[in-house]
Amino acid sequence: MELVELKEKLKVQIIEYLNLIDVKPSDINDDEPFFGGDLGLDSIDSLELVVLLEREYGIKIENPQEGRKVLIDINHMANYILENQN
Amino acid sequence: MYIKALSCISPQHTFDGDFFKFEPIDYFSKQVEAIEPNYNELIPKGLLRRMGKGVRMGIGTGITLLKEYPNVEGIIIGTANGGLEDCVKFLNQIVEYKEGTLTPTNFVQSTPNAVAANLALMTNNICYNSTHVNTGLAFESALMDAFLTLEEQAGPLLVGSLEEISSYNINIDTLKGWVKSDDETLSLLTKSNTKGSVPGEGACMFIIDKSKENAQSFIRDFSQITTKDENVLFDFFDRFLKNNNLSLEEVDGFMLGLNGDSNCNYFYDLFINRYIQKETILTFKNCVGEYPTSMSFAVWLSTELINGNNIKLVEYQAPKAKYQRILIYNHYFGLQHSFMIIEKPI
Repeated sequence: MELVELKEKLKVQIIEYLNLIDVKPSDINDDEPFFGGDLGLDSIDSLELVVLLEREYGIKIENPQEGRKVLIDINHMANYILENQN
Repeated sequence: MYIKALSCISPQHTFDGDFFKFEPIDYFSKQVEAIEPNYNELIPKGLLRRMGKGVRMGIGTGITLLKEYPNVEGIIIGTANGGLEDCVKFLNQIVEYKEGTLTPTNFVQSTPNAVAANLALMTNNICYNSTHVNTGLAFESALMDAFLTLEEQAGPLLVGSLEEISSYNINIDTLKGWVKSDDETLSLLTKSNTKGSVPGEGACMFIIDKSKENAQSFIRDFSQITTKDENVLFDFFDRFLKNNNLSLEEVDGFMLGLNGDSNCNYFYDLFINRYIQKETILTFKNCVGEYPTSMSFAVWLSTELINGNNIKLVEYQAPKAKYQRILIYNHYFGLQHSFMIIEKPI
């Protein structure tokens, strides 16, 4: 899957998994921080994102330090998926 | 105990106050669902997006009252099932993902105490916080808890209940014969004589206090019994009246939980034949359907009637009846029976 296509898919999945009311994929910039920004995600959401990675892409994040490097924004998450899938 | 303030979400326009301006909304359905308000002004979006319907309704009604009474000294909730839809989602995930990594939100929101806990967290309330879950008497248990709490400490308290319809409880209740097999006209529910009832849902919250200042109604007494024996039940009711030194002639209206279920409506039929005149009967499940904590809606409606907000609930009801004292009798499918006396505060 191309990176651009993956990023758009991720945005749709994040909105669905986190039930982000009134947020459209086009509202999420690729470099918009998940935490501390306009999206306003919190620690429970980070667990939801870990579950999303496992269920949708078969990628397990078991080390919290690794999670901190991945769950930053759409760019970091998409790149991590491409590097680690299969 | 005095009721100082009240809030209700139900299948009727009870939250916005339109309920008493028009005829009750009628439904032709196997179940009746609550009319939810726009929660955006009540619940922060970040919290709202995680809440299931039952939790939303409980928070929506509760937070409305807590804005008016921010210093309550306790939050006490009754719910038979809590956020059941989220609970079933979580259980299904356990099976689907073979007990692997599960999302926490469904679990967090599905526990019955999620409403009382969320209300406390949202208002920084660190006082007594409790949730009661004993099926058809969950609300009454919460009220009893409030009664005992007020004997030990100052009020006011937030007390209430919530219940949501989920596919899970509809399926189970259908297997038990508690849901009618065909669509039913809700306004005619109390006249129905087929098996089962029409499931409903909703949330009612009350500010309860010891002081009668600005009170809207007074809960004189309430009592519950679990029995299937009508003789035991009526002995219990006779003692309830005697303990309150009350005669039936002193009651203006009898709010009955008639739900059109031929399996167990005989308790109401016997009660009517034994104790009361038809003209004094009031009903409420023809507005909201049947659910385990529907008694809280009866308390809400009785308080509103005592306050002079009139609405025609049954055909033989006097058009401009004034209510000083209402006695509520409700049972949950013929096993858990509840009596309550509500009066105009004097």
